[in-house]
Amino acid sequence: MSQKPPHRRRFAVGLVAALVVGVGLSQWALVRARAKENHARAERVALVSLNALVEMVARAGGAGEATRRAVTAFARESSALTAIRVVAFDGLSLEASTAYADTGDRAAPRRLAREEKPLYDQGQRLRAAIETNRQEGAARKEEIEVVPSASGGLALAAPLEKDGSVVGLVAVETSPLPPAPRTGWLFPIVVLLVAVAVFWAAAIAVGERRGALALFALVVLVVAMFAVGRHANTMVAADVRSSESAVAAAVVAEEARAANVVQEASLGDARLLHPAAWDADHFRRPLGIVGADGKLDEARRAGEMGRIAASTARVLGSFAVLALAVLVWVGFGFASRLGATLRKHRQAYAYTFPALFGMLLLVFLPFLYGVVLSFSDMSLYTSQAPIGDLFTKLWVGLKNFTDILGDFHVATSTAAGLVWNYQNIYWTLGITIIWTVTNVAYGVGMGLFLALILNTKGLLGRPYYRVIFILPWAMPNYITALIWKGMFHQQFGVFNQIIQMFGGTPVSWFEKTSTSLFACIATNAWLSVPFMMVISLGALQSISADLYEAARVDGATRWQQFRSITLPSLKPALVPAVILSVIWTFNMFNIIYLVSAGEPGHSTEILITQAYKFAFEQYRYGYAAAYSVVIFAILLAYGIWQNKVTKATEGI
Amino acid sequence: MSVGSRTGEFPHVPLHVILLIYVVVTLYPLLWVFTIGFSGQQGLMIVDIPANATFLDRLRAIMPWPAHFSFSNFTSVFTEQPFARWLLNSVIVATATTILGVFLACTAAYAFSRFRFPGRRAGLMSFLVSQMFPGTLMLIPLYIIIVQWLGLGSNFIGLILVYSITGIPFCVWMLKGYFDTIPRELEESALMDGASAATIFYRIVLPLAKPAVAVTALFSFMTAWNEFIQAATFMDKANMYTAPVGLRFFVGGFSQQWGYFAAGAIVTAIPIVVLFLFLQKYLVSGLTAGAVKG
Repeated sequence: MSQKPPHRRRFAVGLVAALVVGVGLSQWALVRARAKENHARAERVALVSLNALVEMVARAGGAGEATRRAVTAFARESSALTAIRVVAFDGLSLEASTAYADTGDRAAPRRLAREEKPLYDQGQRLRAAIETNRQEGAARKEEIEVVPSASGGLALAAPLEKDGSVVGLVAVETSPLPPAPRTGWLFPIVVLLVAVAVFWAAAIAVGERRGALALFALVVLVVAMFAVGRHANTMVAADVRSSESAVAAAVVAEEARAANVVQEASLGDARLLHPAAWDADHFRRPLGIVGADGKLDEARRAGEMGRIAASTARVLGSFAVLALAVLVWVGFGFASRLGATLRKHRQAYAYTFPALFGMLLLVFLPFLYGVVLSFSDMSLYTSQAPIGDLFTKLWVGLKNFTDILGDFHVATSTAAGLVWNYQNIYWTLGITIIWTVTNVAYGVGMGLFLALILNTKGLLGRPYYRVIFILPWAMPNYITALIWKGMFHQQFGVFNQIIQMFGGTPVSWFEKTSTSLFACIATNAWLSVPFMMVISLGALQSISADLYEAARVDGATRWQQFRSITLPSLKPALVPAVILSVIWTFNMFNIIYLVSAGEPGHSTEILITQAYKFAFEQYRYGYAAAYSVVIFAILLAYGIWQNKVTKATEGI
Repeated sequence: MSVGSRTGEFPHVPLHVILLIYVVVTLYPLLWVFTIGFSGQQGLMIVDIPANATFLDRLRAIMPWPAHFSFSNFTSVFTEQPFARWLLNSVIVATATTILGVFLACTAAYAFSRFRFPGRRAGLMSFLVSQMFPGTLMLIPLYIIIVQWLGLGSNFIGLILVYSITGIPFCVWMLKGYFDTIPRELEESALMDGASAATIFYRIVLPLAKPAVAVTALFSFMTAWNEFIQAATFMDKANMYTAPVGLRFFVGGFSQQWGYFAAGAIVTAIPIVVLFLFLQKYLVSGLTAGAVKG
């Protein structure tokens, strides 16, 4: 460090960075919130008109001349909605339309054309949604669809009900939405400049005292964020208030228009309309803020304002924490230390950057995402949901894990004996352990055995044996798996031919857990020997012959030589190979998946194939992710234990 | 055990018997697939056997030798089935994966071997830990990132990126082990002669590490050539299938075209097996160097 610590400069830079982050993010959030409110306002106003229209059409019976009169009258009275279309499911007919395309020989009433099927489908979707919601007594599926229209407005569709069942739909479009309000950048910039000026003035007075500087910077940052927050809250609240007024005005206006339409189309008594229900959400539940007379419910509105303030505080609070982190990071010199490190080792980082970046994007990021998934109940139906939903709507906490690990019903005892629950993780774990231990033990034993034989001096044809023995390793393992599956075929497979050759009865290999697992292990054993053999052989060949010479001179027996020379020399090569082999076998997806496919009844699944089935046969992504996290935890525990035991990673 | 045979006292004949038995075990499945491939039929039986088959009939049925030799499975798998296209896809993906994977692994492994920098140990350990990530945990997020975020579904680039990057940890560990064995004095003297870091890397270290680089390349190529779960997930258009996905298509589900499968498997496996045998002397030295240094 230099004699004069650069605290003041660091804190100033840190404060500027923190303010840019905090104030900038707040401003960005404000712009977004206002645009959203602008959109929501247009949507609510459009919904008021649509709900009024639907009520009118329903009164007119949803079909026939009365409906057409009502729609025509409504269209003349209200210019907010264009392209009104009324579809009746009965007869697939377009009952009324003010759309430009539906004039001349395409004028209503007529049958829907083939290319208008999406319209019909939309109606059926809404019907299904309403039925689902009624059955579940919940508001889960939207009963009104709102999507952007081609002309920059909104396209809305509402169901048409008659005697409690959905008989058609009303689809409308709005004129293009008003542009989002402009949000000035003057205020945040002034806040930023003032904050920096105040801090600098104070910093000159204080000098290079780190504690005081940190405190000042903190206070300035908090005050600035508070100012920005108040400003944002005021603007959003004003927007919301003007939305409420706009909706209230729309309700009053629609009510007046509806009265005219009711009279003109002779639809009964105008006083029996329900304008209080027109300002509603997508589940057709009245919001209840705007009353029938256009008056606002002040208590509800106050509650609404409180909620807005709270959410603003929450969002800006998180930005403030982020800004504070930046301030601390820069102010206390962490940033400059990092910069110095990067500069000092720039060559090393340049060499490793491409690999590390790729690993971050395609290995560690997916891993983290998978871990997040494991706390959600994401399934095929919710797989398109935005990431934010994982932490809110789809979040189930530890439920997946308690479901998986807390289920101890491994077996039920019945009159016929124990009935195993093959979907239980403890059963699958047991199978996985049997699978892994058997395969690795056989691989090491057979590999070492063959290697010792092949290492015999002067043995004829050693290279040829070696090449032949390596073949199973060279073969793609999915091909091996499919070949063995064919050889274990119950009717035509080679193994059953051999059994029959000696007078036995053919075995249905994949109808019993034991034989099915045997078939898988036999396949994997065949292909896992060469790896161990090659590793052992390589290590054996590197043992100096002098060692054996010396041992023989000292009178050591063959067994003593093996124990004291061969095994210790093999250890450095074999231990990492065994660790790798355990992990590979534990995760050996292809063999189980292709040979037994878990038959019979998922009893021969290992953990990894079971997780795959949960994900891609039952489409329970969240559950499958949690299952995979459990697998990972098991492997990690194994790795740590193994590392402790062998210190295999010594000396990196 | 056979260690004593170093003195020549252990008789060779029983050793040969053991080895020959294991040769049969090793070769039988391979001969079997050749037999089915050259049988010209789609069935699993090598020969038809009569209802009351004798011992000899059964013996003939397990002999891996087709009743009639025919190339029809090979010709029709390329003409009637789109297997040529699938094979080409695999060649493209595996070649690009090898080039990219070797580049990424060599640079990173060199840095991990030669430089001491903050994060080195953490980086190496994280590579090791990432080897334990279960494939199923990665598959769904990878699908979302590759297909939905990057828009690389049914695209070679997506598959190449996934293959080359998921292979990095293994390759880096192996190469690093080998780089560690190359004496630093060579580089130091080159440095004295005024060579730049890039020159040292490309002109001195890489040529010396040829065996390890060859093993890395082989490993990358094999991974890409043999992988099928991710390929099946990312490549949903039939004309973008890789060879493994195509082969499973022949005998997966209700499909029982064993003849096509066998012919396709032979064509797919031969280049990789030949490559493997050709490079296996490097493989042993590379693996043991990497493993011993671990």
